Formats: sequence, C-alpha cells, structure tokens
Amino acid sequence: MVAKRQLSAMDKRISGQRALEAFYCACAAGGIAAFGLAFTDPFVVTLAGYTCAFALFALSINIILGGVGEVPLGQCLFFGIGSYGAAIGIGKLGLSFEVAVVAALVFAAVCAAIIGVITLRLTGAYFSIVSWGLTGVAMVAAANLDHITGGPLGLFGFPPITVGPLQLGNPQAYFFVTAAILLVSILFLVAVRRSPFGAAMDSVRQNPHLARAVGVDVARIRQKAFMLSAPFAALAGALSVPYTQIVTPDVFNVANTVDGLLMVLLGGARLVIGPVIGAAMFTLVPQIMNLDPNVKILAFSSMIILIMMLAPGGLHQIGVTLRDRLARKKDADYTR
Amino acid sequence: MPTILGETPSVSARDIVKRYGGVTALNGVSLDVREGEIFGIIGPNGAGKSTLFDILCGITVPSSGSVRIMGREIAGIPSHIIARSGVARTFQRTAVFSESTVLENLLYGRHTSFRHGVMGRILGSISYMRDEQSFLSRVEEVLTLIGLAGERSRKAGVLAYGVQRRLAIGIALMADPKIMFLDEPAAGMNGRETTDFIALIRAIAPSRTILIVEHDMAVIRQLCGRALVVVDGKPVVIDEPNHVLRYPEVVSAYLGTEDD
Repeated sequence: MVAKRQLSAMDKRISGQRALEAFYCACAAGGIAAFGLAFTDPFVVTLAGYTCAFALFALSINIILGGVGEVPLGQCLFFGIGSYGAAIGIGKLGLSFEVAVVAALVFAAVCAAIIGVITLRLTGAYFSIVSWGLTGVAMVAAANLDHITGGPLGLFGFPPITVGPLQLGNPQAYFFVTAAILLVSILFLVAVRRSPFGAAMDSVRQNPHLARAVGVDVARIRQKAFMLSAPFAALAGALSVPYTQIVTPDVFNVANTVDGLLMVLLGGARLVIGPVIGAAMFTLVPQIMNLDPNVKILAFSSMIILIMMLAPGGLHQIGVTLRDRLARKKDADYTR
Repeated sequence: MPTILGETPSVSARDIVKRYGGVTALNGVSLDVREGEIFGIIGPNGAGKSTLFDILCGITVPSSGSVRIMGREIAGIPSHIIARSGVARTFQRTAVFSESTVLENLLYGRHTSFRHGVMGRILGSISYMRDEQSFLSRVEEVLTLIGLAGERSRKAGVLAYGVQRRLAIGIALMADPKIMFLDEPAAGMNGRETTDFIALIRAIAPSRTILIVEHDMAVIRQLCGRALVVVDGKPVVIDEPNHVLRYPEVVSAYLGTEDD
C-alpha cells in the first residue's frame, strides 16, 4: 500500500518532469526561431549556424568523455569523415547533400566499429594517444589521395547545397537547419542517457569492476558508445561544409578535437546540454567581445584552468551551485 | 545451525592453483559450498583469500583446477555473463558508484534484469513501463531492507562508510541473486554498524548462498555455518567457525598476527 502510494507519487513526479521538459523544448524552439528572425546580420547568423554544427561535435566528444570516461583525442577523424563524405558526395559524385550526409554517417559508424575493436582495448592516456595517431594516418591519406580528396589543397567549389527546399547558402536557412538538427540530437542523447544503456555507460565510467559485477558487458558498452559518437561527429563535419565551403586535410588536425574538448570542459561533461553551452561560449563570446584570435586562445586557456580548479563540472556546475545556494538545497542531483 | 541446506553444491572448486610468475598465491584449494549456506573464507593478510574469491566468481583465471557454479564449469565464461546467471559480488574498495545517488546506484544494479534499449525509453513501450514499475517496487523493497529509504537522493560518495557497504549489498540484491560473494563486507565498520550489518545479512540469507571473505572473526562466527581457513595460499581446514580455532596452525598463523 505504502509502496503503491510512493509509486503514484513517483508517477506524478515523472509526468511533471515530462511537462517541464516539453516546456524546455518549446522554449528552445522559440529561442531558435526568435534568434533566426531577430538577427539579420548574415555573418552572425551563419556563425550561429556553424556553432550549432560544432556543438554536435562537442556532443559527440562528450558521449565518450562524459559517457564512458575516455578522452577521445581522435574524434576529429569522424568529423573529417563527415566533411569529406559530404564534400565528395556533392562535389564529385553529384549526390544530394542529404544522401551524401547519410552515407558519411554510415561510413563513420562502420569505421568506428572497426577502430573501436582495436583502440578500445586501451584505456586512459593510451586510448587517447592511439586515437590521435589514427587521425595522423587519416591526414596523410587525405593529403595523398589526390583523385578522391583533392590532395593538400582539399575540395572546394561545391554546387549550391540544399536540404529539401532550403538553400544552405542562405544564412537563415543554414542556421535553422543546424539548430533543428542540434535540438533533435540533444533530445535523442537525453533519452540515451536516461535509458538502461545510458545507465550502463555511466556505471562503466564510474566503476568498471562493479559494472561488470552487476552484469554489464563493459567492452560492448564502450564499443557501442564509440559507435554512437562517431555519426554525431560526422554530422558536425558534414554540416560545417556549407560554412567553410572547403575541406582540407586539416580537418583531421587534433586542434579540431581540442576545440571540441574545451567546449565540453567549459560547459560541463555531466549534463547532455553542457557541451552546447560550451560551444556557444566558445564561439560567440570572442565574437561579441571582438577578441584577437591569439588573445582568445590565452583567455580560454586561462578560463579552462580556472574552471578545472574551481568547478570541475564546468560552467553548468557553477550554475547549479548558485541555484542550490539560493534555494538552500543540499546534495542536489545534478547528474541529469 | 538449523538451516536446511540443499544437496547440490552451489559453488565447488577443485585443486585451485594460482601462480603469479614464480609466486604461488594459491596451492591446491578445494571446497564445496552447499546451496543456502553462508560460507566464510578467513586467513591472515596476503594469504590468498581475495585471489581465491576472484577465482571463484570468475574474475581471475586459475593456473590450474576448476570451478563450478550451480553445476556449471565457469572456465572461459566472461565475468559479466556469470553475473547475469544470478551471481552477485561486492567489492572491498570502491563498492558503490560514488558520483550517483542511492537510487541511481540501485538502478545500475538492475542491469541484468532490465533488457530494454534506447528506443523503449523514447517510445515508452508498454513492456518498458511495466518493467519500470516492477523495478520501482523492487527499489522500495531493497531500500527498506538496507535501511536507506530516507537517503535515496543523496550521493553515494557522501554516505558514511558503513552505509556505503549496506548500499553495496543493495546494488547486489537488485538482481535477486542466487549466490552472493561479499568481499570483506564489514571491514572498517564500527560495533553498531557491524551488528546492523549481521542482521541485514541474516535477513537476505534465506534462499541464497553467501560466501564471505572476512577479517573479523566475530562476524564469521555469527554468520557462517562453516569457514575455510587459508594460510600462505594453502587450505588449512574447513570446519565450523568455533572449531577452526582449535587447530594449532590456525591459531599461530591467523590469530597470532592479529591484535584481537
């Protein structure tokens, strides 16, 4: 009887939570629409679109970092696969952008399946270093397979890129497409994190031995997380093509991954939306403050060090701490 | 002890030998733990108790010898598969998921019994909801049993050590295991916590086989029907806890090195 009452109370809490989430989604959609319509400066809107694309990359990194606790320095490999896949698809094979992107996502997932079998035997720094090494291989390959990748000069001069009726050359359209994809991705990843698979990932990250003892196939979970992360990185890479209009072997540069990692650390790895906050900070703040690129590096490096020292959970953790201070709430659950 | 024990051994080991390089950690250990029994493994530090334990539950592969769990040879079976067949184990260190709440810890413990994917979560399928409901009532049962109903939304890492050990038992209980391996479950507990803990183990013992590695002889004496004494990797005796103290080699090797 008591259990039943508690259950129905829990039901109510769950449905309340659902309503709140629906409200958040509506707010996000409203925010996207308002931003897209309010800002007319094509540069700002295009940059916002690119930020959404890169936020997908940060999300991909966080599937590994926040999900199973490895630092995926090689994640730009999948970003590059997405960029090259889209570029080759539309530029060389004459496919539509959508088909090229889907093909690139599938290819990225297949590559992740093969690479994961090898690299995921390693953990910690060894995993990071070997993944990084593979991006070097990809960079050399991209620079030398002239007839496919255009060699060191890369691929450029694409036909107009469209998604359905939308011309991605139009800043507004580009922003709406990337923002919508980002929103759907966030919702999907929230569902993943709350699913039994998400619970298994978190148990592996926190304590692989105990996870194994409760029946989690640790190797399989890590592999699945890796395969899940790859298409998101590829999607980010593909969606950045309409912005960059050129794809060179430099997409495989580890600096690319480091940018994504900084976004994750800045926003906080614990929360699905953390990396998105980080991505927004990372691109928009220097823009608004009109920072010199060198000053930007300096400012963000110092900021990362400060955040890691004072709030390892990222900006989001600072927000939660403040909220709890105000609400005088202790032991708040900020894992979700 | 007036417990009714089954005929078939739940856990049986034959001539277990484990060598690490030139060091023999275990040498010729055999045992049969009967269904429904609470079985203790004791011995001084470095005697090979933990190695034996890891071998019995399939985490470590022995150099030679065989282990059967519920009649099934476990050689070559990955430890997560063994866990799924109704074998739970707790760890001495890092016994809980410290960054998660008590409730989430129990959620992670149900992994074995909850077979739904991401799509089930998104679509909210009927079977998903039904399993979620039965899971929630299981959570309440376990929370009451381990006495943590009031702490469900606290982070496991901030709980007192003895409370964390109870939570560890709770995680193991989520899958309703047939066999439980408890690695020094009462280590570091104060007197009151130990008493509560013994009561908890007694409460969960019916219908389960429990193996305990333990340093605290008082715990073994109060809980176990029989105990194996391991000294320097060799089995000395299997007998009732009160009887093992009569063996001179046990007294000299085990108790001689202990303060109590």
